[in-house]
Amino acid sequence: MKGLIKKDFLLVKSNIKVLVILFIVIGFMSFTFNGEMNISFVLPFMSVVIMLSTFSYDAYNKWDAYVTALPDGRKNSIKSKYIATIILLFMIAIGVSIITAISTYIKDNTLDFGAILEMVLVMLSTTIIMQSIMYPVIYKFGLEKARIGIFVGAFGLGFLASLISKYVDFKPIIQHLDMLNNYLTFILPIVTIILLYISYKISEKVYKNKEF
Amino acid sequence: MMNNILEVKNLSKEYNDFELKNVSFELPKGMILGFIGENGAGKTTTIKSILNIVNDYTGEINVFGMNNRKNDKAVKEDIGIVLDDMFFPEILNPTDINVIMKDIYVNWDSKLYFKYLKEFSLPTNKQIKAFSKGMRKKLEIATALSHHPKLLILDEPTSGLDPVARNEVIDIFQDFIQNEECSILLSSHITTDLEHIADYIVFINKGEILLSKTRDELLEEYGIVKCTETEFKKINDSDLIRYRKSKYEYEVLVENKKEFNKKYSINTIDKITLEDLMVMMIKGVK
Amino acid sequence: MEIIISNSSGIPIYEQIKEQIKAKIISNELKVNELLPSIRSLAKDLRCSVITTKNAYEELVHEGYVINVPSKGFYVAEINDEVVREELLNKIELLLDEAVRIAKLNSVDKKTILEMINILYEEE
Repeated sequence: MKGLIKKDFLLVKSNIKVLVILFIVIGFMSFTFNGEMNISFVLPFMSVVIMLSTFSYDAYNKWDAYVTALPDGRKNSIKSKYIATIILLFMIAIGVSIITAISTYIKDNTLDFGAILEMVLVMLSTTIIMQSIMYPVIYKFGLEKARIGIFVGAFGLGFLASLISKYVDFKPIIQHLDMLNNYLTFILPIVTIILLYISYKISEKVYKNKEF
Repeated sequence: MMNNILEVKNLSKEYNDFELKNVSFELPKGMILGFIGENGAGKTTTIKSILNIVNDYTGEINVFGMNNRKNDKAVKEDIGIVLDDMFFPEILNPTDINVIMKDIYVNWDSKLYFKYLKEFSLPTNKQIKAFSKGMRKKLEIATALSHHPKLLILDEPTSGLDPVARNEVIDIFQDFIQNEECSILLSSHITTDLEHIADYIVFINKGEILLSKTRDELLEEYGIVKCTETEFKKINDSDLIRYRKSKYEYEVLVENKKEFNKKYSINTIDKITLEDLMVMMIKGVK
Repeated sequence: MEIIISNSSGIPIYEQIKEQIKAKIISNELKVNELLPSIRSLAKDLRCSVITTKNAYEELVHEGYVINVPSKGFYVAEINDEVVREELLNKIELLLDEAVRIAKLNSVDKKTILEMINILYEEE
């Protein structure tokens, strides 16, 4: 399985130039923008883009069929994809934390590790939830169809949210949420881990009977 | 003692538009089996079933005397594969493949792998996508050979290779079976590659095995008789396998040209090639 | 050892191999007790199938020209002259048979044929 995790990172490495440039641009932006420039959006963005690119390289050369013919290939292929995703996420999270820490220190001369940690944790959880939903869809329907599904899903959700916000009065709910907010840092990671586990189990099941 | 490296028994699988029907054959130790047939005849589906790339099939497949489903990992450790059109993502390079495969096969031999790369004059640090089709095939073959497998399963390993490269590759295959414990299942629609080196020929058409014999039985005994209509009418139905009528002559596929000659004394009996055989079996009349 | 295989001759490849090895044994090019190449290496060098060389060797064993020593290999057997002579006569008969067949087909008489043989003999 180690080999398969390495494979995903070697795929990332082949595009390393683009990623380094992206990171530098983002770091630069966080320095130059005077206002409150939150770069945490980078985390989900990069993780999704990078991991989707590995899926698309795999699909292009029918890697999934090939790996299935290798010892334990079918079993480890899914596992390694999830592990690679998590390792990558933490790497990006560390990068984002460092850049944020440096830029806030230079600008305000203060360091609030708690705030940074909270921000990163929330973004990390959100990203994992997103990817947990995406992966089983990709494994079930293939990358091409899944891509369309993900776009349609995202738009649909946005549309639905805007529709709901128009007709529903959120004030009492938000008050409740405020209360929830105190526990959020505890609840979110737990929900995330449960979702991740369910997602993994579904993907595994889909892949187990898949024919290539 | 186990004599067959591979046994396929009554393999069947249904698709919407295609069916594999009771495919059975055996591959003894130390031999090369040529698996021939048109594109879409069922070669790849059979191979995918052996490797459990497809699951939903009936029948039994034994590799090294073990059931291929129950011993999936153990079986695959000793199989080297070249699959048609399926491989590592092409932005990787041959060195990356070594890094990955080291962790996948217990017996992966990096030294041997780089030796093959050198022998095939393949660059070690160039992305696969910059490779020509022939180079890519050679890389796939090098990858298949580098964990000391006992069985090579090769789906169209020579397609896209020029004649010189095909020759090189066939040399490698014959080297591989110098060890009596090792066998090769080689599928191809280019029959000339197999005509000389394959020990067994299994011919599949529309999902069914039409012929399964040793090379010598097929190519030295079978023959194509060319005769006139009056001569043709004298031939017993049981003595002809297939025939074709053209404007000037009848072509008749017979199982044993020597015996046929004795019985009918028709002198124009041609030696056949696998290609003739395939064409006669598919296009000829029963 | 040289073996030349023709793919277009119409003679089965195992027979070509067999006949050429046999000729080399008879002519003493291959000496008694000499080890022959293994089935597999011969197949590789001749670019033919393993079963083909195996068939050739098995027939040579059957006809008494070669001995199979299990797990060692195939060795040139000691052949007695009678076997060789029989073999030679068979070959000559086969060729003469062909000659006579052609002669009959084209109504060349026996006398002419015998004359031809006489001339050929004296030429040597």
